[in-house]
Amino acid sequence: MFELLKLACDIATRTGCQFADARYLDIRKQRVMSRDHALSGCNDSEDCGFGVRVLYQGSWGFASSPNYSAAEVEQVVTLALQIARASARAPRAGGVQWAPEPPQKFSYRSDCRVDPFAVSLEEKAGLLVSANEVMLKNDAVKRAQGYLLFKRVQRWYANSEGAELHSDVTSSESVIWAIAVGQGDFQDRNWKAPSCSRGFEAYDRTEFLAQAERVAAEAEEKLSARLAPEGEFDIVTDSENLSLTIHESVGHATELDRVMGYEVSMAGSSFVTRDKRGRFRYGSDAVTLMADNTLEHGLATQGFDDDGVPGQRWEIVKDGIFQTYSSGREFAHYVDEERSRGSCRADHWSSIPIVRIPNLLLMPGKQELGPEELIADVRHGLYFEGMDSFSIDQWRLNFQFGGNAVWEIRNGKKAGMLKAALYQSRTPTFWNACDATCDASHWRAHGIMNCGKGDPMQIAQMTHGAAPTRFRNIRICRGRDA
Amino acid sequence: MKREQCENLIAGILAIPHAGELQVTLHGSERLGTRFNDCAISQNTLKRQHTLTLCARLGQKQTSLSINRLDDRERIRRSVEQVFANCEHMPDDEELLPAPGNRLESREHAYSEETEALDIDSVGRRVGDACHAGAAAGIDLAELLCVKKEFAAYADSAGGFAYERSHLCDYHVTASGADGSGWAEHKGVSLTEDALMRATRRAIDKCRGAQHPKVFEPRPATVILEPQAVGDLLSMAFWCGFDQRAADEGRSALSDFNEVLGRLSLYSDPASPLFPTVAFNSGGEALEKAVWLDQGRPQQLVTSRYWASQKQIVAKPSPANLILSGDGSSLEDLIRGTADGILVTRFWYIRSTDPKTLGFTGMTRDGTYRIENGAVTYPVVDMRWNDSALRVLGQVIDSGVPVATGEFFPMVMPALKVDAFNFTSLSN
Repeated sequence: MFELLKLACDIATRTGCQFADARYLDIRKQRVMSRDHALSGCNDSEDCGFGVRVLYQGSWGFASSPNYSAAEVEQVVTLALQIARASARAPRAGGVQWAPEPPQKFSYRSDCRVDPFAVSLEEKAGLLVSANEVMLKNDAVKRAQGYLLFKRVQRWYANSEGAELHSDVTSSESVIWAIAVGQGDFQDRNWKAPSCSRGFEAYDRTEFLAQAERVAAEAEEKLSARLAPEGEFDIVTDSENLSLTIHESVGHATELDRVMGYEVSMAGSSFVTRDKRGRFRYGSDAVTLMADNTLEHGLATQGFDDDGVPGQRWEIVKDGIFQTYSSGREFAHYVDEERSRGSCRADHWSSIPIVRIPNLLLMPGKQELGPEELIADVRHGLYFEGMDSFSIDQWRLNFQFGGNAVWEIRNGKKAGMLKAALYQSRTPTFWNACDATCDASHWRAHGIMNCGKGDPMQIAQMTHGAAPTRFRNIRICRGRDA
Repeated sequence: MKREQCENLIAGILAIPHAGELQVTLHGSERLGTRFNDCAISQNTLKRQHTLTLCARLGQKQTSLSINRLDDRERIRRSVEQVFANCEHMPDDEELLPAPGNRLESREHAYSEETEALDIDSVGRRVGDACHAGAAAGIDLAELLCVKKEFAAYADSAGGFAYERSHLCDYHVTASGADGSGWAEHKGVSLTEDALMRATRRAIDKCRGAQHPKVFEPRPATVILEPQAVGDLLSMAFWCGFDQRAADEGRSALSDFNEVLGRLSLYSDPASPLFPTVAFNSGGEALEKAVWLDQGRPQQLVTSRYWASQKQIVAKPSPANLILSGDGSSLEDLIRGTADGILVTRFWYIRSTDPKTLGFTGMTRDGTYRIENGAVTYPVVDMRWNDSALRVLGQVIDSGVPVATGEFFPMVMPALKVDAFNFTSLSN
């Protein structure tokens, strides 16, 4: 497989390119969907092709093709060069400063014990439809749905420096949800089997059925929940809810390409300017956020990134102080780092790599602490579980998040459910309001499979982890008028 | 791929022996994407793709399989066998209907000879010109020029066939100053150099007017939403709330809804000269003009063929564009008629906060200004808002001339002047 990729790099080098790399991807996906008592669809796809990126006289060119042959490789390199020459009409002052990386040759395979593509459709249908049937036993539930998504990406990478890398990553995701109708309202409740780089062994029928029953009951309970109060309250978030807050308010904020203005035309920039490195108080002492692209079963764990840099582990926030960014080889020099953090990924063989959020983890508290004790120290507050409405400004400062289920906390105990609750804050204010996070025994990882960034948009995946965590005096508002 | 090539390829696929019904969708695109920031090109890409989707049906069972290699006949034959083999393992779905079997005329409203002729060099030249305009003005520009050339074909074993080519040009530019930014776009099936430079100059002007913003304490205020802001809000509202079955089953904001939403009409029309689209969907259904709100009165919503058969009504497929009628006022007139308000260039990160009321939240971005006594007086710090799309439509005071916009979906929207839009907190 490497032969033609190396041919692409050789042609580019002979033509005078400073750097070239070539990737071949073989992507297989299956999405199985259920609606009430039936499967509403099963879509398989097979998608393969290659892309060639060249750096010519300080300007980038990229072209791609699904047809993998020597003649096509030659044409695609020619096209990439033509595009690089067109790019040179508006070159970057000082050119591209490409961080060095010793060329490596290795192969990475994610942990996949049961190949999901080899599991029968009957078994997958059984998992989803039986969960739906459990949810539909609840009379308030008028619609039960779910899906299973499996993805296998095999990737071969070579560059003009001599790297030859291969990865084979299988990932999966499943969600079931119930929509309850009644009392002049409708409400949904879902359960996500944590998305991760694992095979079908990640799915357990018994757990699906147990979660289905809980989801249906809580969807019904949401119908009669009272509207959330407004004002300042202490909040406790579960690990799933907080994983999205980590993603939006820390993950995107600390992508170095955004900071340097490369994403201004769409995703925006960041308030975490370079002068903040090593000294800005991002959060309280309880907040340490670790990037880890070596995390087992992590969705951003792929062995190496699409600049040919192996996965790494580094601190983004340590004891509340901002340390450094996620980066790629084009960006490391902006913060005087000699090596890329290995966090540059493309979502397809026809996409150019961009800086992406790594697996990003809020480290658990060092003291023994469980969620009940966390809640026990709240007189009047809210407990947020699961992901719902999420919105953040283009500097990653002002944000507002909901939860898929929210409970009131009264005198240290979870009381009734609340409707339409949203927490609104500014990133440093919020993280500095964190006064405790539970210990490692309560820490959970949650995958994000649909992170959009880039222009045109690319979709990436990564994992976030956290334990239940408490924040003091956070503004609560409502998504529905009283 | 030309029509004849598609017809030949699809005829060969339909001729592969198979047991049940086969639907074939073929889609191809070439996308030139040039992106720059800080007045330098940061990405320049050419993306060519083909996708062949085979949808097999055996009785009340159905599955699909997509592949992207069209030059490997043996692989295609194996794929046809595989999709039918998968189909046998599916449980029955009582909601499946036979393929429509429509032979549709190729209308190609969204095809432009001018865009077809654009190549890497001409796109690079246009972007270079915009870069130089930014450099000359001493302002950082970040932008994308994306030119997409596509074709779509559909066929089924009941004799249905459709084929169309289409184009889409998307240019949007953000101009950044020390503490404020401006934004403008051009969208449509073609892009002239004049249109690109007009958008660039507009972004630069907006940016100049956005420096040194002041705080406007967030509260309900009269607002003028420019077309992109309107498009972003209404596209979210449409996809969250305008489904007939969900409405009939109590799962929509428009369930048992008897109110009139202002006086504007919302409709779709693939033949709209302002933003034409392909006139059929991936299920082989023709897309015709469809009215969703008639002078504010909700009409029959998006209705699948299955739901239409259950309710004995006509099917109304999901549209390919959305058009909101306007009152025809110019933006200047809207501003002149406003004693106290806020002008919003665009929104960002709109998300649902309450499906029951079509409640949404979002931020203003890239040019938010105070209006006092009929004139724009100063820029204001960006704000978050929380409001209901239904309430916004019901509170329109005046509106402008519809223009092409839409971040992810073709929209033709006027500027709207809305009473008591609910700003709730400050941004940066």
